[in-house]
Amino acid sequence: MWNQVKHALVDSTTRFLTELAGLLPGMVAVIVALLISVLFAWIIAMVVRRVLSGMQFDKRLSGWGFSSLSEGSPGMSPTLLISRTVASLVIITGLLIGIAAFDAESTSLFVRSVFAYIPNIIGAALVLLVGSVIARFLARSVLIGAVNMNLQHARLLSAGVKWLVTVLAVAMALEHLRIAPGIVELAFGILFGGIVLSLALAVGLGSKELVTKSLERDGKNVPSENFEEPFRHV
Amino acid sequence: MEVDSIPQQTQDKKPPIQSADLVVGILADLDRDGVASLCEGLGTFPGSPRIVVLQRGPIVDAPLATSPSDCGTTSLSVVSWSSLDPEPSGALQQSISAACLSLFAVTEKLKARGCCLVASKMESGTPQWVGQLMQPLLDADFHLVVPRYAPRSLQGMLNSSVLYPLIRCLYGKRIHNPLGPDVGVSQRLAQKILGNNRNNKPGPGRTHPLASLVPMALLDNMPVCEVHVGARVYPPTDWTNLSSLVAQVLDPIFLDMERSAAFWQRTRGSLPIPARGKPSSVSPGTEILDTHRMVETFQLGVRDLHEIWSLVLPPAILLELRKLSRLTPEQVHMPDALWARIIYDFALAHRLRTINREHLLRSMTPLYLAWVVSFGRELEGAESAIVEKRIERLASAYEAEKPYLVSRWRWPDRFNP
Repeated sequence: MWNQVKHALVDSTTRFLTELAGLLPGMVAVIVALLISVLFAWIIAMVVRRVLSGMQFDKRLSGWGFSSLSEGSPGMSPTLLISRTVASLVIITGLLIGIAAFDAESTSLFVRSVFAYIPNIIGAALVLLVGSVIARFLARSVLIGAVNMNLQHARLLSAGVKWLVTVLAVAMALEHLRIAPGIVELAFGILFGGIVLSLALAVGLGSKELVTKSLERDGKNVPSENFEEPFRHV
Repeated sequence: MEVDSIPQQTQDKKPPIQSADLVVGILADLDRDGVASLCEGLGTFPGSPRIVVLQRGPIVDAPLATSPSDCGTTSLSVVSWSSLDPEPSGALQQSISAACLSLFAVTEKLKARGCCLVASKMESGTPQWVGQLMQPLLDADFHLVVPRYAPRSLQGMLNSSVLYPLIRCLYGKRIHNPLGPDVGVSQRLAQKILGNNRNNKPGPGRTHPLASLVPMALLDNMPVCEVHVGARVYPPTDWTNLSSLVAQVLDPIFLDMERSAAFWQRTRGSLPIPARGKPSSVSPGTEILDTHRMVETFQLGVRDLHEIWSLVLPPAILLELRKLSRLTPEQVHMPDALWARIIYDFALAHRLRTINREHLLRSMTPLYLAWVVSFGRELEGAESAIVEKRIERLASAYEAEKPYLVSRWRWPDRFNP
């Protein structure tokens, strides 16, 4: 009886130690991969930071209309934000490589699915980035154009255009990430349709006379002002 | 004078024009009588040169009412512009720069000594000014002949407020209408512009055929003169496109400024250039000046474009603008020094690409309107002489503020309160 208990204990200990020994190389691999990735991340982040600082990225970014990005960045510096994001990506990649070294079927599957999802993340990020650039460009164009046309609600118009494009970009990005596509589609349809409808109502009801006059003027192709401006510019 | 008026349908029957001494491109909307009158003026040109007149659209037969006895031996051919254009693009009607390039190409093709672009109508209606504009190209070896229109209080505002003072301050020559648009150009200068455009891809590397004439001629030490041509009839303002107009005019000027930075940073003061003809004065206009709309646009700009302007203008200027915007429309008056600094700061932002260039220049419109209001109110109903003095005072302010430009251009990152 005692022998059987002893045998079972030895067996389980041996099995545990064997399995532990089998896991050890994987764990060491994870630690090594993590250490190497941290080192790489530090080097790459430093290079990115220097390159971006050299081209005065922070200043240019606010010039391109992304001044709000500075406010949400660590130390008010988008350069720091980008270098840290790159470093984090390198460390995550190192960690995934390390996990894959376990060679266990489940971890391998997990890593594979994570890697398979990366293109979606990159695609969504690109869609967001392009959407954001277009939104800001259009918002600025509308703002300047509206001010030059002496429209009192220039800022409101500009913000409307910006949010319209941003909502479209976010919806496309979420669709790309396959996050609740049905809900996103529905929410986007409601939101976008709502914005367009409210704009149409605002124009149709609030500026009815203005629109009528404008249409009449276009139809008759008469000068925009009754009295002729005396200034000649070029 | 031999006058060949070639209807488009029968052009092929005439021998093709191989060479000429002068080429005149008519871009102005002249009717049959206008063209006839212009040709009559050219017929009396001394030295019996062979002149080719390029006219847009089909040539109407026999519009010329001159008799050979009036005109000595000058040979004059009126042909359709497109028939001689070496690279017909169809863009001729669209822009003055396309017309300029086409005219230069024809000048090069015909090996003419020079060419003249006629883009305006004059109040006097006499066509003699076209001949006067071309004469210095032939008899005095000038490479660029620019017009000097009789100044009028509310006309040519962009020229008075930016183009003349800025170009005078940058290149050190007092060229009153640097952008013409009625200009006489030598073959050498035309070829230089054409060569530059052929060697560069479309974009900022290319020179504007009209705006770059003065900088290119001055940088190459080509003699430039101006001719008093009387009062020009300015086209009416299209308010919906004013910001595009400002952007279109200032963009090539700022690009040239960037290209010739080494030259203008060394230039100090300014000198007059040789002038021909007699200055004429025009009676002051009796137009009703309503500046409320312009002041409103300026006030809107201060309120809504602050974010954009703060990327371009230093805080002290922004503060001044804010103070101006709080005044009643009747009180708004922009000082010359402030206006000059604004132009310099926008030129610098254009060079640094602080924001999209189109946005930058369009966002300047409310500031320009504030200046126009101040200037217009000051000169409402003023005589030509007073207008001229006022423009000179503004140009002097530009020159006085030039050290600010040089300093900002060289050290754009230096703290500027």
